[in-house]
Amino acid sequence: MKKTSIDRRRFIKLGSLASGGLVIGFSLPGQSLFTQTPFDCEYFQPSAYLRIDKKGKVTIFVAKQESGQGVDTALPMILAEELDVDLRDVNVEIAPYGTLKEGEHDTGGSQSVMQMYDVLRKAGATAKAMIISAAAKHWGVKPEICAADNGTVVNTANMARLNYGDLVCDAAALPVPAEVGLKSPKDFKLIGKTEKRTGLKNILTGKTKYGLDTKVPGMVYAAVLRCPVQDGKLISFDDSALKDMKDVLKVVSYKGTAAPMHVRDGVAVIATNSWTALKARDLVRVQWDITVGKGVNTDSLFKALEERTKSKPQIQVFDKGNVDKAQGETFTAQYSEPFLAHATIEPMNCIAAVNGDKVELWGGFQLPDWAVNTIIKEFGYKKENVKLNLTLMGGGFGRRLHFEPALEVVKIAQQFDKPVQVIWDRVDDTRFDAFRPASVHKLEAKLDKNGKLLAWQHHIAGPSISIMTEGPDTKNLAENLGGADKDFWYDVPNVRTGFSSVNFNINRGWLRAVEICVNTFAVESFIDEIALHLKKDPLAYRLSLLEGRPAFDVRQYGTIVKQEPQRIAGVLKLAAEKIGWTDKREPNHFVGIATHSFIFARAYAAHAIEIEVTGDKKFRIKKIVGAIDCGLVINPDGLRNQMEGAIVFGLSQVLKGEITVQDGKVAEDGFYSYELLRFDEMPPVEIYTVDSKEEPGGVGEVGLPTVSPALCNALAAAGMRPRNLPIRKDGYSWS
Amino acid sequence: MASITLNVNNKEYTVDADPDMPLLWVLRDKLELTGTKYGCGVASCGACMVLLDGAAVYSCQRAVATCVKKKITTIEGLSEDGTHPLQKAWEKVGVPQCGYCQSGQIIAAAGMLNKYKRPTEEMIDQVMSSNLCRCGTYHRIREAIHIAIEEINK
Repeated sequence: MKKTSIDRRRFIKLGSLASGGLVIGFSLPGQSLFTQTPFDCEYFQPSAYLRIDKKGKVTIFVAKQESGQGVDTALPMILAEELDVDLRDVNVEIAPYGTLKEGEHDTGGSQSVMQMYDVLRKAGATAKAMIISAAAKHWGVKPEICAADNGTVVNTANMARLNYGDLVCDAAALPVPAEVGLKSPKDFKLIGKTEKRTGLKNILTGKTKYGLDTKVPGMVYAAVLRCPVQDGKLISFDDSALKDMKDVLKVVSYKGTAAPMHVRDGVAVIATNSWTALKARDLVRVQWDITVGKGVNTDSLFKALEERTKSKPQIQVFDKGNVDKAQGETFTAQYSEPFLAHATIEPMNCIAAVNGDKVELWGGFQLPDWAVNTIIKEFGYKKENVKLNLTLMGGGFGRRLHFEPALEVVKIAQQFDKPVQVIWDRVDDTRFDAFRPASVHKLEAKLDKNGKLLAWQHHIAGPSISIMTEGPDTKNLAENLGGADKDFWYDVPNVRTGFSSVNFNINRGWLRAVEICVNTFAVESFIDEIALHLKKDPLAYRLSLLEGRPAFDVRQYGTIVKQEPQRIAGVLKLAAEKIGWTDKREPNHFVGIATHSFIFARAYAAHAIEIEVTGDKKFRIKKIVGAIDCGLVINPDGLRNQMEGAIVFGLSQVLKGEITVQDGKVAEDGFYSYELLRFDEMPPVEIYTVDSKEEPGGVGEVGLPTVSPALCNALAAAGMRPRNLPIRKDGYSWS
Repeated sequence: MASITLNVNNKEYTVDADPDMPLLWVLRDKLELTGTKYGCGVASCGACMVLLDGAAVYSCQRAVATCVKKKITTIEGLSEDGTHPLQKAWEKVGVPQCGYCQSGQIIAAAGMLNKYKRPTEEMIDQVMSSNLCRCGTYHRIREAIHIAIEEINK
């Protein structure tokens, strides 16, 4: 079996494969669904992405997994644009698992629009070309004189019209053209104009079904007691307290598994309803061997990380010029960031029905192929015997790249003859997350006597994600938390970055913007510190390091991507203008700014934050401005919603979020101890977009990384410099 | 185990359930009204909110036996066809991202508007801080609430 591994590089590779040519769904081998014969024309389905029935009803199948980022609207918009149909008449469905090439369902890295833009335009244009050909044939005219118009074909010679639905049988009989023309962007009717979310009405009336809402006939529910310490062992359990509970059906135990998912040893209570399963679980008495957790504490980890940054990095990630030869004043700073939980409001869950050598699953997955391939590998099912039904997700943020619930529920369902849904309660969801790793950053700059920035060194120490998912021999150490594996946007002649992995026994995974977020906090805080140290305006100082710097190629995650310093300067200037950077401020009001590039999603963003200082380490956020340049925007309101939401996500991180571990056990157990930003803490926000004709980029993660440093830089402008997240750790408070 | 009769969305349901079972789980697992969401089970997120005689409550905190002879309204029954002023305002503003918390958010706001036709900003802050949105749609929720307030006071 091929090693199943996944990382951001894979998103990129799949993206370039999928958009690299004429490959669209219908050319897949073995996908009989899409091989239509002239006699089989209930509907016309020229590719995996759309179907048109005889009534003209268009169904668009969304390849990417919806978890709130709006792919259920942006992706159908792209296809509907080229197909020339009204989005309001379109039925939107999740592309069923297995109808796409391996990897094409994968959702992460803010890649969905980038990966699908060309594919969906071609899919829409191809279907339209075939329908037009069918109409032309019907009328006995040349296709060139026919035009598509909102679900109909018009014969421009006599203005006769045929609905798409009238043409599906004829179109299905035609050969698929190898090449089709695409619209000129100036003719776009949908792309670039705000559309309401396609599933909006269902959300507002409670009809939308997420994973946890999925009901399968005969299903039962399971709650699991998991070993509180990773790699601990189940010794024994006693379920005698449950013997009179009529709704309890069975108690089963299972052994955990190691990488990639680190499922813990567990005891599962299966019951007729969720509440009984959860309640009865608390009555099971379990003996664990948790000696492996002794001494695994975040306090000591931070000390170890700090110590580790004092010596040479384990791996050098990027090196330019010669930092050792740079002579001048040394300026250093250290920053730290904690473990973070994803805290999706829909907790983890999954349904499995095991029937002999077959298994069927229901749930939300960001990387469904990784889940299915791992199930095949770990349980020995044949590929054709694993069926997966994808559901919507009540939040993803990288949490559902991981799929421990799927592995758990198969272990449970193998011991019970009905479909079982495993339900994680909030405590489980908080304590057994795959946490965004903690890190300590040491930065060192060399400044010549005129204040010129000669050299930049950045050493990150933290527990790696790739060691967790791929094991200690991972080749992706630099990529999954190294992060700074490229020249950054500021023009510094000598740059060296490195990463040191420090082991820590807790499960780790990707959280929205992961390493970009982690590194941007340190980088954008440090550049700000240098500016203040040199008594320069932090905005002007940044712009001076960007000025005139041409675009350059950088290698990231095995792909060449473009770094465009002038687009960085563009978002910086936009954010600064909108916050009124040079305006005279009220007393005790201060502004901070930060920027970054998210170049593997071809996007750039900046935040400017105005605060009012109300006392020592006390402040109020007055306003946050977000600016983004992600090329051509598909759905402007969708973009704004993502950017607004990223501010909230970012504020939770900078102000509050922290997971701590004591003797291998996570201390936080839900929203009372792992707090998220609440409604009354929401400051006024404004989002601005650079009007761009560049290729569309990503959005979902792009608005997150600069929130924390912009706020810390505003505090620094007021004479306070937070260097550890969350800032309340160092006594900061807000109102 | 007891036979319990509930009035949910103006419909009578008789369920066989433990009287202690929280209303949330009766709605979700017994009646399959899954518009009411589970998020925490401990009144910290508000995803489970329903109207009990018009007031917004955490259905995860209400034993089903205490809901007998009360009018229970879930998101599915807030309006016939999604045209409650709050639903219309939510639609106009385009509030949701993942949408999972939004039924609880709308119910929390509906409970508030049932009681106060013109809540102050402080009241809105206080009431809506019971409900978490991880996607971060607070900014839009506030805007939508104000649109709904205008609508009901027309």
